[in-house]
Amino acid sequence: MPAEYSPTILQGQHTNDDEILAKTPLDTKALGGDSSVIIMELLQRFKVRDVMKRQIIAVARSTTLREAQRLMRENRISGLPVCEDGRLYGIVSVNDIINALDNGWIEDSCERHMATNLVVMEAGMPISFALRYFNNYTYGRFPVLDSNRKLVGILSQRDVMRALLYELSVEIRKLERKTAGNGPLRATGERYFRREWAVVRNDLSRAGHAANDIKVILRERKVARSVARRVAVAAYELEINICIHSHGGVLVLLISDDTITITAKDRGPGIPDIEWACRDGTSTANDWIRSLGFGAGMGLSNSKRVADSFDIQSEVGKFTKVTCTFNMVPPEPAPAEGGAS
Amino acid sequence: MTIADVVKILDGKLMAGDGNSPRAVGAVVANDLMSDVLLNDADDILLLTSLASDQAIRTAHIVGAMGVVVHNAKPLSETMLKVAADLGVPLVSSPLAKYDACVRLHDAFLAEERS
Repeated sequence: MPAEYSPTILQGQHTNDDEILAKTPLDTKALGGDSSVIIMELLQRFKVRDVMKRQIIAVARSTTLREAQRLMRENRISGLPVCEDGRLYGIVSVNDIINALDNGWIEDSCERHMATNLVVMEAGMPISFALRYFNNYTYGRFPVLDSNRKLVGILSQRDVMRALLYELSVEIRKLERKTAGNGPLRATGERYFRREWAVVRNDLSRAGHAANDIKVILRERKVARSVARRVAVAAYELEINICIHSHGGVLVLLISDDTITITAKDRGPGIPDIEWACRDGTSTANDWIRSLGFGAGMGLSNSKRVADSFDIQSEVGKFTKVTCTFNMVPPEPAPAEGGAS
Repeated sequence: MTIADVVKILDGKLMAGDGNSPRAVGAVVANDLMSDVLLNDADDILLLTSLASDQAIRTAHIVGAMGVVVHNAKPLSETMLKVAADLGVPLVSSPLAKYDACVRLHDAFLAEERS
């Protein structure tokens, strides 16, 4: 979970910003308030180890600053980690070289003039956190340590952007394939509409966004108000469930001529006892979730109550998939509901 | 009773949404548990809640509520105001406690019935 990460500063002091970072699971504002869900998903899914450079050009403590200068020039880099047997001792930057040239100590060892007050990243840290380092510190790249505190890579903003651009192009191709599939004829001859939303784990600032979209779509497509409301209720409960109970997943809306289907599928952890989970009032939610108005153990039972048919499948450690289907023709006349909703 | 009437009755202040909406209150739901609110089948709900978060607004939109009142003058975040404006849900802040707000609305409904 992102909240467990806090900036690691070797031989330095934590700042107020650091404390804020440590307490904030995911600040969407820092990532751009209107960032697409796909970008959010990527930022959460990718870890520093997935995008960092593993080929590290480093120097030993006894290496001279002149040698460090030569390595920087030849490799066109602006900083060198000072490292021995995987242990990081400091960093020599271009500024250290300039100072050495100005002051006549270019033949001194790196150890004498390297920076030792270091900010480092952890290899398992999500990219969403790594981006905040670039915002909060002026450094262009950060050394990356593994769980044994060994130097395993270097991360620069360029590495992050390159990886994100590549993955985004992959996601866009996937989306294009899906969009191309919207509205074709099924074997039965009916047309259908399909849309999918990614739901990010613990991102309650966006939770409910998909359900609100779904309600607007159904109203625009002139679906009866009573049906639209029941579909939206199920979508909302299932979206919140993915957000607060799972590792993340997707919510899918499928509209055909005579039915509307909401499918919620997540990537685990799965439900050991489905019968228990579907009962009213049973929940594994914590106080934080309850403080946000959810976690009363009514999500699955509410979804079941409003749907015309309900199906749930789960495999512990792998996934949970809930499918709610609604008949397009309301069983009774739709109540009058005015206004803009 | 419209949202403008609700603002007056509860000594409130309209924070977002259309204060001149002609929609009338169909039922008052006073609840902080959003799953409970979703369980309600009433139309044109006025939601009274102490949950000053986006989720109160999103829930209100899902059930087609005609408005949301956050009582005890709880501070409302910028994002909550934006979600309310985007989804077209009138949002009112009232200094009253939930119980007092319910009593006032109840009295106002009785007076409306008598007139």
